[in-house]
Amino acid sequence: MKKLEPLAWVGPAVLLIAAVVIWPVIEMVRSSFLQISRFGVVREVNFPANYDKLFAEKDFADIMVRSVVWVVAIVLLTVVISLALAQLFNQRFPGRKVARWALIAPWAASVLMTAIVFKWMLDPEVGVINLIRRDLGTFVQKVFGIEPSSLGLLSTMGGDAADQLGQAGTAMPWLIFVGVFVSVPFTTYALLAGLATIPADVYEAARMDGASKMRTYWSITLPLLRPALTVAALINMMNVFNSFPIIWAMTRGQPGYDTATSTIFMYVLKNANLGESAAMSVVNFGMVIVLTVIFLRVSRWNREVA
Amino acid sequence: MNIKLAGGAALGLAAMLVLSSCGGGSGGTGTETGGGEKSASGPVTLKMVAADYGDGPGAPNAGEGFWKGVVDDFQKANPNIKVEVQVINWNDIDKQVATMVQNGQAPDILQTGDYSGFVKDGLLHKVEEILSPNVQQDMLTKFADFGKVDGAAYGLPFVSSARALFYNKELFEKAGIAEPPTTWDELKAAAEKLKKAGVSQPYGLPLGQEEAQGESFLWMLGNGGGYKDASGKWAINSPQNTETFTYVKGLVDAGLTTPNPGTKDRKTVWEDFAAGKVGMATGGPMSIPIFDKGTVKDKYAVAAIPGKSGPLDTTLGVMDWIMAFNQNKHPEEIKKFFDFFYTGPAAEKIVDLYKLLPVTNTGIQKLSGDEKLKPFLDALPNASFYPFQDPKWSELNTQIKQTMGGVVKDPAKTLGELQKAAETG
Amino acid sequence: MATTTAPSRAAHRPAQHGRPRGARRMPKLKTTLIAALAYLIGFVFLFPYLVMVLIALRPQKELRTAQWFPDTWDFSAIAGFWSGGLADNLLVSLQVAVGSTLLVLVVALPAAYYTARHDFKGRSLFLVLVLITQMFQPTAMVVGIYREFFQFGLVDSVWSLILVNGGFNLAFAVWILNAYFSSIPRELEEAAFIDGNGRFGALFRITLPLAMPGVITALIFTFISAWNEFVVALTLSTSPENQPLPVALHSYMGQYSVDWQGLFAGSVIATIPVIILFALIERKVVGGLTAGSIK
Repeated sequence: MKKLEPLAWVGPAVLLIAAVVIWPVIEMVRSSFLQISRFGVVREVNFPANYDKLFAEKDFADIMVRSVVWVVAIVLLTVVISLALAQLFNQRFPGRKVARWALIAPWAASVLMTAIVFKWMLDPEVGVINLIRRDLGTFVQKVFGIEPSSLGLLSTMGGDAADQLGQAGTAMPWLIFVGVFVSVPFTTYALLAGLATIPADVYEAARMDGASKMRTYWSITLPLLRPALTVAALINMMNVFNSFPIIWAMTRGQPGYDTATSTIFMYVLKNANLGESAAMSVVNFGMVIVLTVIFLRVSRWNREVA
Repeated sequence: MNIKLAGGAALGLAAMLVLSSCGGGSGGTGTETGGGEKSASGPVTLKMVAADYGDGPGAPNAGEGFWKGVVDDFQKANPNIKVEVQVINWNDIDKQVATMVQNGQAPDILQTGDYSGFVKDGLLHKVEEILSPNVQQDMLTKFADFGKVDGAAYGLPFVSSARALFYNKELFEKAGIAEPPTTWDELKAAAEKLKKAGVSQPYGLPLGQEEAQGESFLWMLGNGGGYKDASGKWAINSPQNTETFTYVKGLVDAGLTTPNPGTKDRKTVWEDFAAGKVGMATGGPMSIPIFDKGTVKDKYAVAAIPGKSGPLDTTLGVMDWIMAFNQNKHPEEIKKFFDFFYTGPAAEKIVDLYKLLPVTNTGIQKLSGDEKLKPFLDALPNASFYPFQDPKWSELNTQIKQTMGGVVKDPAKTLGELQKAAETG
Repeated sequence: MATTTAPSRAAHRPAQHGRPRGARRMPKLKTTLIAALAYLIGFVFLFPYLVMVLIALRPQKELRTAQWFPDTWDFSAIAGFWSGGLADNLLVSLQVAVGSTLLVLVVALPAAYYTARHDFKGRSLFLVLVLITQMFQPTAMVVGIYREFFQFGLVDSVWSLILVNGGFNLAFAVWILNAYFSSIPRELEEAAFIDGNGRFGALFRITLPLAMPGVITALIFTFISAWNEFVVALTLSTSPENQPLPVALHSYMGQYSVDWQGLFAGSVIATIPVIILFALIERKVVGGLTAGSIK
C-alpha cells in the first residue's frame, strides 16, 4: 500500500504527459525514419535518407547557427531587460498597478497577432514605425539641416530604406526585438515574484553593514533572485527555440532562408517532405537538449531547484 | 489498414448507418472496406472539403454560404444523397487535408489547388468514373489534359483564372505615359517615368513565398522560357530564363519595382495597387473586386502582359481542381454531384461570385458578353500552365516560393539551384 | 498589500524596492521620474495593441494610407465581431483555457506537493521527465498529436484541446509548484498537523496558502498559453463552431486579400479577457507574495 502511494499522487501527471507529449514524440521520431508522401502515406523505411538529405541542404548549417544566435540573443536580452524592469516596477509609485497591467499586454495577446501587427508597423508604405522615422527625418532636415538617411531616418515612405523586413541584415534584429518584446512580460513578472520573496531584513542587514546600493544588488538581490531567474530563463529558452509565429508571420524565413530558424525550416519542409521535416524536428530537439544542458551547467541549476 | 478504415467508419458520422444497414446487405462495391453503409435504398453521406474563395467566415461571399446553396439544391433533387461540406481557407486547406489523408480520413470530394500529389498513392477516382461523358467533352481540352497523370485523368478542372497587366491610368497620365507598355523596354521606360513622378512602386513585383512561382513564370513566358522546355524536361536555368531575370534584376536594381521583391507577397502588392501606390502589376479577374474596394476604383485598366519583344500571346492559366477520393467507394453518388455542379447554375454562380473563369466551353460562351472579363476569356484558350502533373512539382513549388526571390540578386545561381532541386527532387 | 501601504517599522516592510534607505522620505522628484519612466515603458508595451485598435477602426479605403489616425472612424469591424459568430469562438476559447487550467491544477498540485515532500523511488526520474516535457512544444508535433487523437475519436472536440494544452503546460506547473512547496518549511506544516488539523487540513490551511504565488503563476501561465495556442487548435478543430478564437481569426486571411480590420478587431477583443483576468488576480498575487516572504 505504501509502495503504491506515490502512484496516487504522481500517477495522473505521468499519465497525462505520456499521453499528450511522449506519444507524439515517438511518432515524430518514427516518421523521421520513413519515406512519406506529401499526404502522409508511408512508402518505405529509409533510414537514414531523411537525415542525409537534411544535412545536405545547402542552407542547413546557416540555419542551425542562426537558431542558436536567435535563442541566445533573445534569452540574454530578455533577462537583462527584465531584471531592470522588475527593479523599476518593484518601486512604489502612484498608478503602479495600471503600469503593470500595460506591461502584461504582450504576454496576454497572441504571439501570432503581435508578430502580424509588428509586420504592419514595419510596412514600407504605411507602417507607423516608418512614419515615426519619416516625421523625425523631416524634423532633423528642417531644423538642423541634417540629411535624414545619415541618421537612419527616412525622407519618404516606401522604397528600400523603409523596408526593414526586406533584407536579412535589418530583418533579423527586428525579429529578435519582437522575440524579446513578447518574452519580457513573463520574465519580468517571474522576477517581480522573486523579488517579493526576498525578506526585508536581509536588506536591513546589508544597510547596517554599510553596503552600497550596487553592492547590495550584486551580492544580495541577484543571488537570491537566481532560482526565479533560472526558471524564467529556461522557460524562455525552450519557448523561443520552438517559437515559430514571429518569424513565420513576419518574414517566413525570407529572403530565401536568410531569416529562417530550424523551426521555420521544419515548417517549410513539412509542405515538401514530411520525413525530412520530421528529421528536422528530431535534430531540433537534440539541439534544445544540448542548449539546456549547457545552460544548466552554467547556472548550476541542480543546486538551486529540484 | 483495414483496422484503421474500420475504426474510421465506426468513429465517423456513419456509425449508426452501419448498424442500421447491416441487415439490408445489398452489398455494392464497398462491403469489405467499412463502406457497409452503402445500400441501394439508404442515404449516402458524401464528405466534401472545399477551399474558401470568399473573404472568410461571416463575409457575404463566404464559401460556406455558396456551398450551402449548392448542396441544398442538390439534395432537393437527390434526397438519398447527403453532402456535408467543410470550407477551409486557402492558408490551411493543404495542411488540414494532408492531416486527414494521413489519418485515413480523406473526404469523398476535395476541391483545392492541386490533385497530383494524391495520384501516386492511388487515392483518387479516375475522372471517367465520376463524371458523365457529355460533361467531360465540354471541358476545355487544354485544361482537362492537365488533369491527367500517365494518360489517365484524375483531376477535374474546377475554376480557372488568367493573368493580365493592370495599370493605374491616373498615375500613367501624371507621369506622361500614353499607352500601356507592350515590351520589356517600354515597361522599363514607363517605370522610370513613374518613378520620376514620385510613385514608390512603379512595377509591383511580388516574388515572396505567396506568388513567386506565378510572377516569375509570367516573366519567363515573355522570353519564350518556362519551367520546362518543349520536350518536357526541366529547364529552369535555361539561357532564356537567365536572360529574363538578368533583365528583371536590372529593374530591381534601378529601384523601379517593389523593394526587396523576394520578401513581398501578392496580397501586399495588390493592396498597394488598390491604394494607388503601384503603377502597374499583374493580376487576374479576382483582383478586380479588390481594386474596386480601394481608392483606385475606376482609375485602372487592363492590358496584355508585356514580353521581351511584344505582348504575350499566352498567359499563365491557373486552375483549381476538384477530385474524388476512392476510399469510401461512392463513385455513383459523386458522379451525380459533379454532373449537377457542372451542368447546373452552380458553376456559373461561382464564376460570377468570385470573379473566376469557367473551365467549360459552355461556361465561356455564357460569359462572352462581359466586357470586363473579355481580355481574360480571350487569353484562356492559349494559356500556359505550371507543370502540375509532374509529381515533383509540389515539392519544387515549395522551394520556388521560398527561394525564387534570389533571382534579383544572382539570377544564374538561384535558377541553377532550383534546376538542381528539380532534377534530383 | 496592507503592509506596504500602511506606514510601519522598516524591519517588517517587505522589500518592495530593494533600497531600504530613505524609502519613507523618498524624494518627490524621484518618484515622479520613476513613475514617468514606468508609464513610458508601459506605453511601449501597449503600443502595438493601440496600433491594432487604430487599424481596426480604419475604413477599408484608408487602410494603405500613411497616417496615424483614420479620417473617418469606422466601427463596423468591432460590430462585425459579434454579428460574424465569433462570440461562439470566444466561448470555445474560454472553455479550452479554463478547462486546461483546471486540469493542470488538479493534476500538477498533488504531483508537485508529493515530490517536494517525499523521497520515493522514481522521484528524480519523474522530475527529469517533467523537464524533458518542457522542452517539447506542440508546434513541433502536430501530426503526431492529430494521429493520436484521431484514434481516440477526439478530433474536433473541445476536450482534445483541453488535454493537449493541459499536457504541454503541466511541466511548468509541476516545476514551479514543486519549487514553492520545497521552499515552505516542513516544520510549519508539521506544527499544524500536530495542532490537530490532520494531514490534509495542514496541507489546505498552511501549505497551499503559502504556495499561492506559485499556484497563481502556474494558473496564469497555463491560462494564457491555452488561450493563445494556435497551431494545435488549427489542426485539431475542423468545424468553424469548434474553433478557438485564434483559429477563427486566422480565416480572415483570405487567398487574395486580408480583412485587416476584422483580424485586428478580433485580436484586441480576444486579448481583453486575459487582461481582465490578470487585473483580477494581480491583487491576490501580491497578497500571496507578501505571504511568501515569511521565513
